[in-house]
Amino acid sequence: MAPYDEWNKIEDDDDDELQDNSFFDSKKDVILFCIDCSPSMLELRPDPESEDPNLKTSHLYTALTVAMQLQKRKVVTNPNDSFGILLFNTSRKPETSRKQGSEIKKNMVLFQPIAPISAPAIQELIQLLSDPGDLQKEFPPSGTQVAIGDLFTSCNWVFRDGAPKTATKRVFLITDEDNPHPGHGAKQLRTSAETTLHDLLQAGVGVEPFFIETEEKRFNMNTFYSHVLQNQISEEDDEEEDANVLKQSISISRIEDLLSQMKFREVAKRALFSIPLELAQGFTIGVKGYGLVTEQKRGDYKYFVDLGDRLEVALPKTGLLDEDRQAEVNKSSVVYGMAVVGAAPSNENDGEEDNLTATKVVKSGQRPFYTPDEMRSFRTLGLEPGFKLLGFKPRDTLKFEDNVKHSLFIYPDENTYAGSKRTFTALLKSMVKKKVIGLALGVIRRNANPTFYAVLPQEENVEEMDPAGFHLIPLPFADDIRSAPIEEGYIAPDNLKDAARAWINKMTIKSGYIPDAYPNPALAYHYEQLEASAFQEEFNAAAFEDHTEPKLDLIHKAAGKLLKEWKTELANDESANFVVATTGSKRKGDGAGQMDKDEVLAKFNSGTLAKYKVDELKAFCRGVGLGTTGKKADLIERVEGWCEKNKRK
Amino acid sequence: MPAERAGYTVTMFVVDVCKSMGATKTIPLPPGPNGEQRSSEVTHLQYALQYVKFKIQDMIYNGRKTDQCGVIIFGTEDTDNRINDENGGYENVTEYITIAQPTAETLKRLDELKPSDVYGDPIDALIVAVEAQNLYLGNKKTWTRKVILVTDGEGPIELEDWEVTAAKMNELNVALTVVGVEFDDEEYEFKQKNKPHYKEVNEQFYNDQLCNPENEGVKNSVVGTLDRVLEDISMPEVRTHAKCLADWRCRYSREEAMEILIKTSKCISINRPKPFKKFYIRPKISAGGNAEEHDMEVDVDEDEPKNITFAQLKGRTEYYVDMAEPKDGEEEEGKGKEKVKEEEMIEDGDEIASTLEKVEKEELIRGFKYGTSYVPCPDGQFSKLPTKKGIDVVGFVAEKKFRREYSMGEVQYIWANPDNSTAQCALSAMVQAMYEKGVLAVGRWVTGDGRDAKMGIMSPTLFDKVHCLLWAPMPFADDVRKHTFPSLSVIKNKKGETLTEHPYIPTENQSEAMDEFVDSLDLMEAGLKDEESGKRTEWFDIRDSYNPAYHRLKQAMFHCAIVADIDTNPLPPPHPELLKYFNPPKKLLKKAQSTIDECIQAFNVKHVPKAAKMVRKGGHSHANDDDEEMLLLDRNPSTSKHSQSHAQSEVAQELEKAGGENDTEDEDGELLLDKVGPAQTPHPLPTPARSLSSFSPQDQDDDAMDIDPQRDANRIIGRTHPLTDFKDNLKRGDIVTKAVEDMCMVIAEVVIAPFASRRKDEMIECLTELREVCLKEDEIEQWNAFIPNLKQKCLHSTPGNEEFWTEVQDVGRELSLISDREAKKSGGSSNISEVEAMKFMVT
Repeated sequence: MAPYDEWNKIEDDDDDELQDNSFFDSKKDVILFCIDCSPSMLELRPDPESEDPNLKTSHLYTALTVAMQLQKRKVVTNPNDSFGILLFNTSRKPETSRKQGSEIKKNMVLFQPIAPISAPAIQELIQLLSDPGDLQKEFPPSGTQVAIGDLFTSCNWVFRDGAPKTATKRVFLITDEDNPHPGHGAKQLRTSAETTLHDLLQAGVGVEPFFIETEEKRFNMNTFYSHVLQNQISEEDDEEEDANVLKQSISISRIEDLLSQMKFREVAKRALFSIPLELAQGFTIGVKGYGLVTEQKRGDYKYFVDLGDRLEVALPKTGLLDEDRQAEVNKSSVVYGMAVVGAAPSNENDGEEDNLTATKVVKSGQRPFYTPDEMRSFRTLGLEPGFKLLGFKPRDTLKFEDNVKHSLFIYPDENTYAGSKRTFTALLKSMVKKKVIGLALGVIRRNANPTFYAVLPQEENVEEMDPAGFHLIPLPFADDIRSAPIEEGYIAPDNLKDAARAWINKMTIKSGYIPDAYPNPALAYHYEQLEASAFQEEFNAAAFEDHTEPKLDLIHKAAGKLLKEWKTELANDESANFVVATTGSKRKGDGAGQMDKDEVLAKFNSGTLAKYKVDELKAFCRGVGLGTTGKKADLIERVEGWCEKNKRK
Repeated sequence: MPAERAGYTVTMFVVDVCKSMGATKTIPLPPGPNGEQRSSEVTHLQYALQYVKFKIQDMIYNGRKTDQCGVIIFGTEDTDNRINDENGGYENVTEYITIAQPTAETLKRLDELKPSDVYGDPIDALIVAVEAQNLYLGNKKTWTRKVILVTDGEGPIELEDWEVTAAKMNELNVALTVVGVEFDDEEYEFKQKNKPHYKEVNEQFYNDQLCNPENEGVKNSVVGTLDRVLEDISMPEVRTHAKCLADWRCRYSREEAMEILIKTSKCISINRPKPFKKFYIRPKISAGGNAEEHDMEVDVDEDEPKNITFAQLKGRTEYYVDMAEPKDGEEEEGKGKEKVKEEEMIEDGDEIASTLEKVEKEELIRGFKYGTSYVPCPDGQFSKLPTKKGIDVVGFVAEKKFRREYSMGEVQYIWANPDNSTAQCALSAMVQAMYEKGVLAVGRWVTGDGRDAKMGIMSPTLFDKVHCLLWAPMPFADDVRKHTFPSLSVIKNKKGETLTEHPYIPTENQSEAMDEFVDSLDLMEAGLKDEESGKRTEWFDIRDSYNPAYHRLKQAMFHCAIVADIDTNPLPPPHPELLKYFNPPKKLLKKAQSTIDECIQAFNVKHVPKAAKMVRKGGHSHANDDDEEMLLLDRNPSTSKHSQSHAQSEVAQELEKAGGENDTEDEDGELLLDKVGPAQTPHPLPTPARSLSSFSPQDQDDDAMDIDPQRDANRIIGRTHPLTDFKDNLKRGDIVTKAVEDMCMVIAEVVIAPFASRRKDEMIECLTELREVCLKEDEIEQWNAFIPNLKQKCLHSTPGNEEFWTEVQDVGRELSLISDREAKKSGGSSNISEVEAMKFMVT
C-alpha cells in the first residue's frame, strides 16, 4: 500500500496476527483546486522569492505552481489520490476534446477534470507553468465575477462526475477577492452561495479556503465569506464548529505562504481512534487520537504483469494453507497455539501423505489451542479500549531515555461525552500550571496491548501552529530496558571540556530541532528517481541535494579554528598514551594493550607490519575501529589501509 | 548479580513415579464462563509434571541448542539405567529421556507417564542422574549442571551413604532443586494436614541434610513446595540480553575533521512476544475421498474415542490479474472507480471475478505506482543515496527547545570505543561540555555504507565512571503531520469577539476543582514506604512495570503446550505482578475521593448515547422543505433543488452498482432551521450530519450513523424529533435528569425559532410529556424552574412567541407549575402552592 497510509497505522507489529486492518483501509483523498482568474490574480508582480527584479509572477501562477507541487508530492506518497483543477472568472472556452462532464457554468473552465494523478497531467501543468506571462493569454479574465453560488454548484457536478464515492472530497478555494458580490443583489447572491455550499457539504465535499491578501489588497473575512462559510462542517472529522463561533482554521495569507499553509491541509485530518478517557471512576470524557509524528516509509513495490500492450497490477490474495493437503483454510476455523517443534515422526497419522506440516494429534473433544477471542483477552487482559488516568508526576520525571515509539496526540471529543472540552481544557491548564505530566494506562483498540503512557500537556501556541492537547508518550516496560554494557571509561579533564565547549558554542542551532529543516534524503532520492522514470527523463544524481548533511562550510567558518585547538589539546592529553585497563578478561588479546599509532605507522613505512602478532594486530584494529575477523593477512591488509589514510597527517 | 550465562546448561529432571504419586487431589480452576466454581481432579504426578513441563517448555521457547535436559524416573516397575547395566543395583530407576535439546516430543512423552505400583529410591535416581549428566558433559567444565528432583517424599529413602552423593555433586558443582509435593513451607504458610510420620522424616532429610551445606549437604541447593513453585513460575521474568556493541564513528567537519571512534548499544529495545502459530482441525478424509468438515461434538458419542489432528497453517499469497480490456469510453471518468477496486486486496472468500486470472509470482515484474502510471523497477528499489557509515554531528540545540513528543523510537547508548582512550577522552570532554551548557547534539546516523540516514538527538549522560550519549531518533520533515485543531481557550463568535463564557470554557469554579484534583492524585509519595528512610516512595516505576500482554501471552503459550484441553483446564489468572499498575493506588484514591466527587459535579460530563436512531421521513421535515423553498425564491433558478434531485438519481444508480454500499444520504435541508435562525444565545452547534464511520472499529459496528443533525453535540435530545428522542432516552432509563434538562432547552429553542408556529402542536405535546415525566421521575424542580423561564422567553424577549404562550394558556392548569399537592401524590415535593400554580397560567 501507499506509504501515506502508514500514517493511519499505529505501529503495533506485535499484534498483527489478530489485527483488524479494515479500518485502516486507505481513504482516498480527492482535491479539486478552484482558482480565481480575476485580473488581480493574473497581474504580474515582482517575484518576492527571487532577487531578479525582472522575474515576474502572478498569484495564479503561484497557485498553479502550488497545485502542481502538491500533485507531485501526493503522487508518490499516495498515488491513488485524485486531483482536479477548476478555474473561474475566465473567459477561456473549454476545449471540446476534453470532457467537461456535466455542463459547467459560464466563465469557468475545468482545466483538469478530477482523475487519479498521472504523470501526463503533471507534465501538462509543468508545461503550462513554463512562463508566468503566458497565463494571461491562456486564461483571459472574464471581466465579470462568477456567482459564488454557481461556483459551488459547478464543484458539486465536477465531484459527482469524477470522484470515487468513498473518498474524502475537498475543494481548495483560492481567491483574493473578499467581496465578490458588492452592490446590487448582494443578499440573494450570498444566500445562494450559502445554499449551494450546503448542497456541496451534503454531497460530502468540504471546502478549504485559501484567501490571499497583499499589502494593497487586504482580505476581510467579514465582508462576505464569514457568513457563507460559517456553516461549514468539516466532513471527515465531526469537528463540531459552533455556528456562533467563527471557523478559526481559515487561512488568510500572503501568496508566498500558500504552500506552507497548504501543508497543514494537504492530508485530510483523520482520527486514529475515538475512545473514552477515564480521569477517575465516574469521571470520563471522550477523546480522539491522532498520529502527528510517524515514520514515513518508502512505499512497497507492487507486482505487475506485462500484458504486452500495458502493465497491469497483480492483485495479491492471501490465504492460509494446509500444506500437506494443499487446501485453503477458512479463517474462521483457525485456532492459535505454540509452534510444534520437532514434530513426532507420525505413527498415528493418516499415513497416506507426506508430512510437511507440523501437526498435533489429540483425543477427540480436546482442544489444546486458543480461539481468537481467548487470544484477544490474553493480549488486552480484558481491558476495553480507553485511557485510564492513574495520577500525576512532576514534568521532570519523564526521562529522555523512556521512549519506545512515536507519540500520539489527543484532543477532546464533545460528541461522545458532553462536557469533554471544558474538562479537557481545565485539566490541560491545571497540568501546565503545576508543571506535571499524567500517567495513564491505555488500550487504543480492541486488540491492542495495554500500554502505559506519559501524558504531556501542550499549550496552544498560535505562532508555531501548535494546537492545544496532550501528547501521549508510550513508556517502555521493564522488559524493554537494556543495561549499560560499559561501566568505566576515561574521564576528560576540565581544560579539554572547556575547549570542547568553545566550539560547541559556535555550533549551536538557535531554533532548536525543526523537522522541516531535514527532509528525509533517502525518500527524496527515491521519489526523484521515480518521478524521472515516470516522466521518462534522465535522473540527475549529481543535482541531488541532501539537506541533512552537516553544513561543513559554515562549521568550518564558525568553529574550525576552535576545533583544531581542541584537537591539539586532545593529542597532548595523557589519555593519548593511556593504556586501557582491561576490564574482565573475556576478550582475548586485550593483554596486548594499545599499540602506539606512530609505532604502527613506522612499521608500516618500513614494511614490517608482519612482525606484529595476530593478537597485537587485533588489539590495534579494535582500538581504531577496524574489523578483527579473518586471518593475519586480512588484518595486515586492514591495518595497511588504515596507515595509508593516516600517514599524511 | 552477574547475569547467568544463557544456555550451556544440562538440566536433569528426576521424577518420582512411585505408587503414592497416583493419589489424587482437587485443584481449583478459574470460574467458568458463567462464573460457576470449577475444579479438576488430577494425580499428584500430573500436577507435578506441570512444573517439569513448564521448565522444559521454557527451553523449547528459547530454542537454544545449548540448553538441554534429560529425564530420570524412579519407582518404575522395570529397571533401565546404565549403572544397573554395568554394576547391578539401582533398581526401579529408568533413564526415561536421554539428554538432548527438548522438543514437543519430550513433552508428549512426559504426558505418557503413569504412577506405578512399586517404589524406587530417590537417592539412587539422583546418582543415576548425576552420572548420566557427567558422562554426557565429559570435560565440558563451563557448562552449568542442574538437577531437579520432583517427589512427594512418601517412598522409602536409602539414607546410607547419602553424604557421598552430596560430596560428589559438590565436586561436580551440581545445583540441586528439590520440589516436594505438599511439603510444608513456613514462608508460604503451607502445612499438610495429617501428614504421615514417614513423610515428615523424609522432608526433614531433604531440608536439614541433603540440602543443607552445613550438614555436608549439597552446597547449591534449594527445597520448595510444589504449589509455591508453580505460582512462582508464572511470575514475570525479565530476560537478560547479551551485551553487544556496534562500531561507529562520530564525525565532525573536514580538514580539522575530528573523528571519535564510538560503539553503540541499545538502551531501550521493545521485547515482543513470540508469535503464535495458526492451526485448524484437519478434516478426516471420508471413504469417498472427500474432505468433510469435522465436528468435534459429533465425534464424541462414537464407540471408541477418535483422534483429531490439528495441523499448522502457513500463509500463502497468490496473485491475480484483471484481464478485462479497459473500455475506451470509460477511460476518463471510469478510471477513478476502476482503480479503487484495483488497489484493494482480494478478501478471503470473495468471489474471484471471472476476468481475474491467476499468475505465477515468477512472471511478475516489480514496480512502483506513479499516479496512474506504473514505473517498473526490477530490483524493488532504485539506487540508493550514497552514504557513509557513522554519525555526523550537525549541530547543537538547547535542551529547553527539545520537544519530547518528537522522540520516535527506541533509545540507544553511544559509547566511546572502550579500547581507545583518546576516543574516550574526546567523547567525555564533549559530553561534559554539552551537559554544562545544557545542549543536545543533532546527529545524522548512517548504520552502514549506503544505508538510509536517520536524524536524531543525542543527550549527554554522565555516569559515575563513564560518560556517554543517549540517542533518540527524531522525525524528518516527512514524518511530521501538521493538522489544525480548533483552539480550546479562545472561542470567537461570528463577529470576531472573543467569548469568555461558553460551555467549552471551564469556569473559575471548574478550574479550581481541577487544580485540586490534580494535586490530590500526586503519585510522588503514593508508593510503598521506603524501608530505610520510612518515607513513602514514588508509585510506578518503569523498572517494575512488566509488559502485561507479553507475559500473559507467554504464559498462555506455555499453558497450551502442556495441557491437553483448554476447556477443562483453562489458563490460570495472570500473575498479580502484571496488574499492579492497572489502577491508581487505593489509599490515594480514598484520600482523593472528595475532590473527585467535586470534579464530577462541577464538570457535569454526560455520556452522549451513540446514534439515537431517527426516522428521517416525516411530515416534519417536509415542513422544513417548505421553509427552504420560501427562502430560495429569489435565488437563481436551477441550483440546489435541481442538483439535489440529479444527485439522488445518480446515487440510486450507483447504489445499485455498488451493491448497496451505503455512503450517501439524501436528507434534504433539515439543517435549515438553524441556519436561518437569527444568531442568538448559545445557539446550536451543527453536528455532523454523518461522520465518516470507518475511523474506529467501534464506529464500524454501528452501521448507520444516523445522528440528528439538529442535535447539539452535548445533548441527547435533538430538535428534529424531540419527543421521540425524549421517549427513547427514558426507555433506556439511565439519564433522566439529562434528558429532562435537554428537553427543556430544546423546547425553549424551538419555540422562539422562526416558523415555530408550524410546530406548536408538537411542542404542546412535548410539554405535556415533559411535565408528566417530571412528576413521575421527581424532576419537579426542573419543571418549576423551566416553565416560568419559557413564559418569560415567549412574552418578554425578542423574538418571543406570544402566540405560543397563548396556546399553553389554553391548555391551562395541566401545563402550569407543579404544586405541592400534585407533587405529594407522586411522592415528590414542591414549594409551589396550588394557588400559585393556578395563578401562574392566568397571569
